Amino acid sequence: MIKLQNVNKYFYKNDPREVHALCDINLKIEDGEFSLFSGSSGCGKTTLLNAIGALDSCDSGEIYIDDTEITTLSESERTELRLNELGFVFQSYNLVPVLNVEENIGFIMKLRGFSNKEIKERVLEIASLLEIDNKLKLLPNALSGGQQQRVAVARAVAAKPKIILADEPTANLDSANSEILINMMRELNEKEGVCILFASHDELIRENTKRVIELSDGALVNDYKY
Amino acid sequence: MYKLILKMAWKNSFLRPARTILVITMIAVSMSMMLAIQGLYDGMVKNMIDKNKRSDSGDISIYAKDYRVQKDIKYRIKDAKTIKEDIQKIDGIKAVVLRLQAQGLLSTARKSSFASIHGIDLKEEEDFGKFSEFLKEGEISLEKRSAIIGVELAKTLKVRIGSKLIFSTQDSSGEINSIALRVRAIIQTTNIGLDNNAIFVDIKKLHEFLGVNHKHATQIAIMIEDNRLISKIKQMYPNFDVKSFLELQPMIKQMKDMMVIFNSITFFIVMSVVFIGIFGVVYVSILDRIREFGIIIGIGMQYKYIRAQIFLESIIVGLIGYISGAFLGLILLIYLRDYGLDLSSFSDALEMWGYEAVITGTIKVSYFTSTFGAIITASALSVLIPLRKIKKLNPIEVIKAEK
Repeated sequence: MIKLQNVNKYFYKNDPREVHALCDINLKIEDGEFSLFSGSSGCGKTTLLNAIGALDSCDSGEIYIDDTEITTLSESERTELRLNELGFVFQSYNLVPVLNVEENIGFIMKLRGFSNKEIKERVLEIASLLEIDNKLKLLPNALSGGQQQRVAVARAVAAKPKIILADEPTANLDSANSEILINMMRELNEKEGVCILFASHDELIRENTKRVIELSDGALVNDYKY
Repeated sequence: MYKLILKMAWKNSFLRPARTILVITMIAVSMSMMLAIQGLYDGMVKNMIDKNKRSDSGDISIYAKDYRVQKDIKYRIKDAKTIKEDIQKIDGIKAVVLRLQAQGLLSTARKSSFASIHGIDLKEEEDFGKFSEFLKEGEISLEKRSAIIGVELAKTLKVRIGSKLIFSTQDSSGEINSIALRVRAIIQTTNIGLDNNAIFVDIKKLHEFLGVNHKHATQIAIMIEDNRLISKIKQMYPNFDVKSFLELQPMIKQMKDMMVIFNSITFFIVMSVVFIGIFGVVYVSILDRIREFGIIIGIGMQYKYIRAQIFLESIIVGLIGYISGAFLGLILLIYLRDYGLDLSSFSDALEMWGYEAVITGTIKVSYFTSTFGAIITASALSVLIPLRKIKKLNPIEVIKAEK
């Protein structure tokens, strides 16, 4: 479970350019949710996602992942948390260019110390689910954008994290590939029970998620559950 | 995990092959040149030491007290033959020779010059220092009134093979005496003292000429296998002037030290080039991949793995450069050892300082081990600044920057 209490985040604090990026956010996200942070550009959805992902700090408030208060963690503890509890999908795929698809998918599992056998089995399982099992020996630059994003999703989900944070995962994809990706992520959510949080203004994602949390000027304005 | 890190490091090292190959070539060429220079410097000094030992002092020389200052046969070793026999019995002694030496005037019909006459036993000298290898002209022989003359002295007196000479000196009784000699050979030892002033005759003839007992000598030169024998021999003969090679040739010691300084300077310059080269490649490579590092830190890769990867990338470049440089350097050194570097056009200047016109190189394992250590150290140090940059990297900045 993710819990946010009175979370505030400023950019350019004490500067004429000061922006109140997150205003008193209070939020609870249960395990296994398939939710979206929605809103116009600059509303704070990516900032909120990064704060939950222990990538960015807050100026005040508390963020809990299960029982761990993450705003007080050291840099190395945050890295450990990201490695063990979270999975990330970025807009620009960000695969390791010198590793093939199989190694990219197994990368986080390798970092977490899984055995080669476990990695191989899991990579095959996820790659089949995401229909990239015939691309395992290829380097990322030999794949299309949609395939690369599927590899990024596979990497995020392979080590079975509790939460996957996906920031604009469909921004670089055409509508057909976007649909394939979202369907696959929904399937992962249902099959693996992994909590997936999107930050996006893609209508397709909005239509497919079970909860939409709307932000405006850093404040939480609506919270719809379907 | 480290297998994967090694794979990533290897692949990243050749992500831009032209750049990496350029740096490897730079390391290999500069290292091989440095090895060749080291080999030549050491070869020059080794040759000089070798020829000085063989032609004159050996590893140890024993003189009567005051002989080296007075240069008078009055200060000779009277039981030289017995001492020689005693020394020969010591384990680790390679060769011992007796020499009798006197200062005097060497004259032709037209010219004369100061010279020192050396009474030697050719057979013993051959065993001691392969005397015949110094031959430049003529035939090594000291039969009858034959004499062997140093190359520079021959030039000074303008004598050739077959020329007649008169050597005059004071004998043991104080009388001025002369001996007629005929040049049978001209030698070049690159020992300046001998080439400029020495004339060699048979030791028995010199004993007779100087009126000295055949058991006497002015110098006992010894070749040893183990340098620890120096102190032993010094202890055995406290009443004599027992000197090691370097004590007798302080100039050579200075030259040896100077060559160490030259080698160190060359070494430092080359290692600086290696350091800058690897630093450049690693730094640019990290700047190229800064986003990648930000992302992998973002998804949870610990700094220790990134550090290991960067170290390995640097070590890979350094190691390939080292292996190529060592291979090239070895070829150069083998060539220099077997054929030498022909500097005949500078022979006058070189020979004046006791060097040969053809300089041969030496090969020591230490060239390769010390260079290996230095290149690995340079490789390791060159990543410290790039690593600092990664350490300070905030993944969120990179993730924001991609948007």
